[in-house]
Amino acid sequence: MAFREKTAWLELVTMLVAYGVYFGIVGPAAGFGEERMLDIVWSFGPVAAAHAIAVIVGAIFIAVTARKEAEARADERDRAIARRGATIGYYMLIAGMIVVGGIMPFSEPPWMIVNAALFAIVLAETVNNAVILISYRRGWHG
Amino acid sequence: MAERRLTNVIRALRFHAGEMTQAELGERIGVTRQTVAAIEQGKYSPTLETAFKIADVFEVRLDAVFQWSEPGAKKAEPESGSL
Repeated sequence: MAFREKTAWLELVTMLVAYGVYFGIVGPAAGFGEERMLDIVWSFGPVAAAHAIAVIVGAIFIAVTARKEAEARADERDRAIARRGATIGYYMLIAGMIVVGGIMPFSEPPWMIVNAALFAIVLAETVNNAVILISYRRGWHG
Repeated sequence: MAERRLTNVIRALRFHAGEMTQAELGERIGVTRQTVAAIEQGKYSPTLETAFKIADVFEVRLDAVFQWSEPGAKKAEPESGSL
């Protein structure tokens, strides 16, 4: 498996676990900040920090175990696949932001808008990594 | 209607070039071993520049490496005169 494919797996899995925990357990327990907006910071913050640490530790482990590959620059296929993932993820993010910033303010309370924005970011990044993995697995003909 | 697809004989060319490995070929053309494997399997269509670099490594014409094949066409073998 290519080094960059492994890092995409790492990012996807850690993201699904971390934000699955937030949106499934921690968020509901804190009422997603419905009572106090600051609760969002205290519930989402530690999850985001744990996610960042998991990605950093995992990336170091992958880089150490595949040292030569990790030192190599991304080649044309890696760059083409990364572009494809980023492009599709970008459109997901734009769609999410239109909903969050253009539609929800007319009908939803602030805590809901903040959580929806966080969800849109997580979803866009998940799609980005999923597209990267599918492109590595099934092929890419740019 | 089925589409034409890009096929190649890189694996055979590597075999005829002293069983050159995918990693060796990748190093010479500036891509990873996995990318060479993806090109061979038809999972990735290289840029024109990389395609010419591959042809240069084996000292053959570009169309001796890559073919624009009809759907269901038998996989081409490298031309003996090009090796």
